[in-house]
Amino acid sequence: MKRVIIALLLSTAAVVTSGLSAQAAAPSPQAQPQQTQQARTPINHLVVLFQENHTFDNYFGTFPGADGIPAGTCVPVEPNAPSQGCIKPFHIGDNDVRLSDLDHSASTFKRQLDGGKLDGFVSALNLRNQDGRLALGYYDQQDIPYYWALAKQYVLFDRFFSSASDGSLNNHFFAYTAAPFQPSKNGGTDEESETPHLPTDQLTIFDRLQAAGVSWKVYVQNYDPKLTYRTVQNYAGNRASQITWVPLLNIPRFIDDPALASHIVDIDQYDTDLANGTLPAVAFLAPSGASEHPPGNIKSGERFVQGLINALIRSSAWPNSAFLLTYDDWGGWYDHVAPPAVDANGYGFRVPAILVSPYARVGAIDHTQFDFTSILRFIEDNYGLAPLTARDASAKSIDSAFDFNQTPRAAAFTAPLGAAPSTVNNVRKRRSVYWTYGPVLLIAVVLFGVGAFTVRRRVHLERIDP
Amino acid sequence: MKPEGTARVEWLRAVVAAELAEEEERRHRLSRVVRSLPQPEPRVLVYLALAGVIGAATFLRTWQINRFGFNSDEAVYAGQAAALANNAALKPFFPVFRAHPLLFQTLLSLSYRLGGGDVANRLIAAGFGLGTVVLVYLAGQLLYSRRAGLIAALFLAVMPYHVLVTRQVLLDGPLVFFTTLALYLVARFARTNDRFWLFAASGAMGLAILSKETAVLLVPSVYVFLALSPSIRVRTRDLAIALGILVLVASPYPIAIMLAGRSNTGHSYLTWQLFRSPNHSVLFYLETVPGAIGYLVCAAAAAGLWFHRRQASWREVLLASWVLIHVVFFELWPVKGFQYLLPIAPPIAILAGHAIASWKLEETLPRLNLAAWLPALTAGAIAVSLLIPAFSSIEAAPSGTFLAGTGGIPGGREAGDWIDGNVPSGATILTLGPSMANIVEFYGHRQAYGLSVSPNPLRRNPSYEALPNPDLALRTSRVQYIVWDSFSASRSSFFSEALMRYVRRYHGREVHTETISETAGGKTTRVPIIRIFEVRP
Repeated sequence: MKRVIIALLLSTAAVVTSGLSAQAAAPSPQAQPQQTQQARTPINHLVVLFQENHTFDNYFGTFPGADGIPAGTCVPVEPNAPSQGCIKPFHIGDNDVRLSDLDHSASTFKRQLDGGKLDGFVSALNLRNQDGRLALGYYDQQDIPYYWALAKQYVLFDRFFSSASDGSLNNHFFAYTAAPFQPSKNGGTDEESETPHLPTDQLTIFDRLQAAGVSWKVYVQNYDPKLTYRTVQNYAGNRASQITWVPLLNIPRFIDDPALASHIVDIDQYDTDLANGTLPAVAFLAPSGASEHPPGNIKSGERFVQGLINALIRSSAWPNSAFLLTYDDWGGWYDHVAPPAVDANGYGFRVPAILVSPYARVGAIDHTQFDFTSILRFIEDNYGLAPLTARDASAKSIDSAFDFNQTPRAAAFTAPLGAAPSTVNNVRKRRSVYWTYGPVLLIAVVLFGVGAFTVRRRVHLERIDP
Repeated sequence: MKPEGTARVEWLRAVVAAELAEEEERRHRLSRVVRSLPQPEPRVLVYLALAGVIGAATFLRTWQINRFGFNSDEAVYAGQAAALANNAALKPFFPVFRAHPLLFQTLLSLSYRLGGGDVANRLIAAGFGLGTVVLVYLAGQLLYSRRAGLIAALFLAVMPYHVLVTRQVLLDGPLVFFTTLALYLVARFARTNDRFWLFAASGAMGLAILSKETAVLLVPSVYVFLALSPSIRVRTRDLAIALGILVLVASPYPIAIMLAGRSNTGHSYLTWQLFRSPNHSVLFYLETVPGAIGYLVCAAAAAGLWFHRRQASWREVLLASWVLIHVVFFELWPVKGFQYLLPIAPPIAILAGHAIASWKLEETLPRLNLAAWLPALTAGAIAVSLLIPAFSSIEAAPSGTFLAGTGGIPGGREAGDWIDGNVPSGATILTLGPSMANIVEFYGHRQAYGLSVSPNPLRRNPSYEALPNPDLALRTSRVQYIVWDSFSASRSSFFSEALMRYVRRYHGREVHTETISETAGGKTTRVPIIRIFEVRP
């Protein structure tokens, strides 16, 4: 309660002093930490990883106990022509539907949502000349056994919405700034590539952390420091996505100010920092090749995530850390929950989210409504920071997923489901041994113990009559 | 015509003197014969001497028994026992059924159920060793004399071979206990022709097989003995009953496997053993075993057989068949292990004990006052020659190399304990070979794979699990730690280099090291024997 009151006071103060405009509150590039804030919870290290493009139903639609795909679901091929039939959810790989990068632009979102009827998932993609059936495909335990194992042991969120009813760019910006991408000059995003070409001076959570003297870093897989909004036109294909997935590379001060730019590092540094005990208080991770972005190999993404989580678990930071895995947008996949309309920008469809921490509740499914700004809210509450915008000011913190009264869990790697050691013992084997060797042992003891008398008598007789 | 007068008196004197001299000579001869016969020692002295022997045996088998942690084989047998006892920490890593029968492991499992640990397990093994010493005394006494039995028991009590093996949780200690029991019972049968002893011997042989299946060699040993000893008569019916008892007692081995649904377990292991490539040269036993038994003991046994060849009886045939069948078999068997020939130690000790006890120096050195004491002094000298290396091997400074079966692994337990305390549970570890993998699993409670274990099932021990593609496992974070050890490295520099390549390739960070002190050129340095690396893709 106390924390809520403090947060409300802080948010009110922020609204009063800086208004709802994030731009107005942008600090000068020379802003330096004034003091070091201590975490208000046992979580001294929060690591957040945004993978790419899956819905909750796509990954956990069949997860026991979660709000997954309802029985009887069948999405019409064409909402306005029921005679064309409908598509039932299906396990990917069980038919001839080929994986592809489903369209996940704002327009497709609207068509798929269809005013909350959720009947346009197939037709919206068909309109894009894609195989709309694929939207109804889903994965399960056999495809992502590690994620399912994490979900069973830690906290799985089944009401975690992407912040923007849009693709990657705006969602990433929400995760960093609690607002969509707002270019500082005329222009906007290229909807097809989702690549911003214009700078912004939006206030980010890292500005807040920097000002409060709270350590932070953004770890980027295959990081190329030269690839920013200024040079993106020189990079072809997926490499350009770096500036989408790392919004700071669209903000001049984070590129030009060495004190800020030095916080954006290659992901190799993540392992180094863990090994050296220098993991910052807040760390955002941005993937590259292992992002699970369709039609990429989700297993390689899962292994990438497993490596990151294992590295944290075996480090000295683990006892006071939390790792939040989530996905930046829905990627065109089906989800059966219509996202609430909280403002003009969102929410988007639900995305998978899992919290791993020594303080995470055990095997819990959290039904609280969250979005990416809930992460910001947790950071702000944890360090007493003012909210960035109205969105994070009103967001619920993810702290409901923690139980700070429980004994922190010991460091333990999570084995993918179904990969238990092959040497599992069972009662049958033990019994078979005791029921066979046992009697022989018993008889031997009786014969060699009780029979000693007989032996002595026989030996005595031998002496008398050899 | 008899002399008269004075001459007659002289004549009578001469006759009496001659008869007296003849009587003296006869008495002297008789006394020599009596002295040459085995002299029954006073019982108190015998028991005192036997107590001394057992005391020495106990000391050597228990002194610093927990100085080093389990080696690979000990870890496996103790792990099986723990799995049988439903030990939550160990049962995920050690299947109940691996390669050998489970009599000893079943006993150890009772210890686990009562809260026993490493020390209790080793003490149980040492108990079998002490029992074997007593059995050697009984067998020596039965076959030859109390003195021969005492000397044989003394030799076995301080014999490095027997001491080293029975200080460990190995199947060979119980195996040799039961084979020696069978030897004693067969000898008693041979002496009395009482079939009761034959049946009892069969039961003991069955228990020996339940300890370790190689005890099946006792069957040809007994067959050879009976075939070469026409004086021992056995009825076919009794032989059939004895064989039935043997099969009945040994039957839990296959029955338990079948009941558990693991009928391929023993079969696969036997097939692999039959066709695998040799792990040592043909000279391995010649280089290691005589020294461990004691060269003087071997020489005394051989000399005894040679010098008593004219008086050879079924006794020597029995002992020799016990030794030769084992030696010939294991020399031909592709897999050679230091402890495999331990069953020959008791009969060799008995032969040596008999040779020394029956050493009649009074005949060859009649004027030597020490003649009567020389056999005892010789036995004492031989015992000391065994005692020194036996004690040295217990007290030896830790080394970076290791011969399997000769003791615990320095640093192994400590490294495992470190892993248990510092490596997240659920971690998977790559070791150089399967031996260190077993130790890591036993003490560290983490899944471990030996790099040198071949992914080809035809090229590996079926009880080992291979990591089919270590590089992929490391690259995909399925393996998070690497453990290098000098013991495995000394056996395979190839895999040592391969393992260290993985350490370098996957950003290995040394997180723990076990070291020993080594002195070279007057300088003492700490040398790493076990290194633990954290790795990541």
